[in-house]
Amino acid sequence: MNILDRIKQLNITKVNVQRENRIFVDTEKDKLISVLYGMKLIGFNQLSIMSAVDRIKDNEFELFYVLYNYKEKVNAIVRTRIPRDNPVIETADKIYPPAHTYERELTEMFGISVSGNPDSGKPFILENWKDKPPMRKDFDSVEYVDKHFVFRNPEGKNE
Amino acid sequence: MEKMTEQQFRTIGNMLRKRSLWMLHYCTGCGSMELPAVGTSRYDMERFGVVPYITPRQADILLVTGYVNTKTLRRIVTVYEQMLDPKYVVGFGSCPINGGVYWDSYAVIKQLDRYIPVDLYIAGCMPRPEAIITGFMHLMELIDKGKATGYKRYKENLEYYKENQRKVLE
Repeated sequence: MNILDRIKQLNITKVNVQRENRIFVDTEKDKLISVLYGMKLIGFNQLSIMSAVDRIKDNEFELFYVLYNYKEKVNAIVRTRIPRDNPVIETADKIYPPAHTYERELTEMFGISVSGNPDSGKPFILENWKDKPPMRKDFDSVEYVDKHFVFRNPEGKNE
Repeated sequence: MEKMTEQQFRTIGNMLRKRSLWMLHYCTGCGSMELPAVGTSRYDMERFGVVPYITPRQADILLVTGYVNTKTLRRIVTVYEQMLDPKYVVGFGSCPINGGVYWDSYAVIKQLDRYIPVDLYIAGCMPRPEAIITGFMHLMELIDKGKATGYKRYKENLEYYKENQRKVLE
């Protein structure tokens, strides 16, 4: 049985092979952890990266987990969508330990809180951040810059 | 023998000081890539007495290479205050001058000289090794004439610098 058939046996919504060795796996929010566990059993041992995309038009966050299988040399991207208002996900650090740090970053940059991860919500990269999470699409970077920093006067006369 | 006046003493001090500059390079951005070329045999900044050094306590120049985050700024201020007088700050590349390509970034400060006094900027993105050496020569000239007085300005206008630092860091 090849790897695609084994993935299709898992409890998933859609499998999309975009090109060779790159498989997109779509799933629902509740089944995410069980799908990740199944992927690990198939042989996807490495979590390369995990992050989110702010789909502000759909009012949703898209989470993705990029996994790699060393034996078959296949990349798989597990994707799911969660609502944008009050987003909570479950931790995956029991399955993939590197997810622990990625989840901390996720909390800080997107405001997605992670249940089961004790470090989620602790300060990570930003220090003394009081504004909106900066990777959200409705965070206006230019407005923030105008409020907090002073640009140099192009004529060279500064204060 | 006639007694030396304070002015003469300072002149001789500056003349000797400019030929032995120890440099602490705070490599924050891509600017640090040019430093190996400047330091090694092709351009060889040691000809002019500029030597890379590893601790702030023994260094004369603080070289800030590249963009400065608000998070990095906290460390830069700490390092700057650890250094002993006389100390000089060189801003390197276009990012410390006006933000450079990070002009709209929420994390990068736009003018380094609002937070610590900068004696000399080397403009460019990136400055070539020749530009860096020219910059150091210019700094030596400033020291010789007694014009590189950033550390005095920091003491005199401490309120101003501290207030600006507080605005971004707290």
